[in-house]
Amino acid sequence: MFFKKIFPKSNKEQEVIRDITRHIKLLCTDFGFFKTALETSDRSLMREVMHIEREADSIRRDIISKIYDGAFLPYIRPDLCKFVEIVDSIFDLLEDTGYKYLDVKLPDPLKDECVHVAFLNRRICEMLLIAYEAMLKGEDFREKMLAIRIYEKKIDDIKFDLIRDARSIEVTNFWEGEILSQFLSCLTSISDVIEDASDHLQIIHLSMK
Amino acid sequence: MKVTEFITRRIEAIEFDKTVFDAVERMVDRRIRSLLVRFPGNDRENGVITARDVVFKVLAKGLDSKKIKVSEIASRPIVCVDQDLEFGQVAKIMGESNIARAFVCDDDRIVGIVALMDVMAAALIAEARGEHVF
Repeated sequence: MFFKKIFPKSNKEQEVIRDITRHIKLLCTDFGFFKTALETSDRSLMREVMHIEREADSIRRDIISKIYDGAFLPYIRPDLCKFVEIVDSIFDLLEDTGYKYLDVKLPDPLKDECVHVAFLNRRICEMLLIAYEAMLKGEDFREKMLAIRIYEKKIDDIKFDLIRDARSIEVTNFWEGEILSQFLSCLTSISDVIEDASDHLQIIHLSMK
Repeated sequence: MKVTEFITRRIEAIEFDKTVFDAVERMVDRRIRSLLVRFPGNDRENGVITARDVVFKVLAKGLDSKKIKVSEIASRPIVCVDQDLEFGQVAKIMGESNIARAFVCDDDRIVGIVALMDVMAAALIAEARGEHVF
């Protein structure tokens, strides 16, 4: 494995690698919950998304502590920490989106497209995990990066359609419109952050060469 | 990979009695290469007009796009593929029909459109996942 070749004897590095994998897998689960909650209008399942964010926070703290406790050479630590922070910010954004959902009545004409975006968000997250695992194995992961960019572009296209459709939705007061707008904005910007994470993965890969 | 995973659900459409100029205006405005042409009847009765139709059937012949109705140059019937099909099966149908886009249908209702670019993207994503479209 890629990291194992560089740090063959250290357990600390292996622990960090395992924890990062766990962190990303938890994110995939979180996206799954979010999508199902949105699709079935299950508000209690949506609250589960907030619980998962707290669990993710604790994993992030563990990883950062282990890294600064001596895992990996100092030059690579900031990049690894940055990657973990970006992944963690996706949990935060997903949690925010969940809160907005609980606050808003999602109009029927927008629901199908929102569920589709949630589905694509989950797919793009799974691709991030595949890319990370490919990097660990020392495989070429250019095609995985490209797949992430394709998903991101697709979500971007849907975003503009959603915004256009949202303009024709009648709202009864300012806050109803404002929160709906924030919900759509959060939902469609998650993929941008996942793309940032994948870009950072590439930076880590390059810096290890 | 199922075709519904990567389709475009929003379909730009134009009524059959509008002019080609109206269609061009819409395509340029939305930066798209085709429009669904709505004819009376169910969704399978509809047609499609592409930038290719506009250029070769109207503009290149020196015809006035404001005097020609989209119904005169639209291709009918549209090619519909079932929403449960896999991308590989859809690509085969597109190849056999020599078309760049197919409409994805749930019985007689159009639920989306899939273009060659979507097939290409789906093939790449499947490859990245360790699966195969073809």
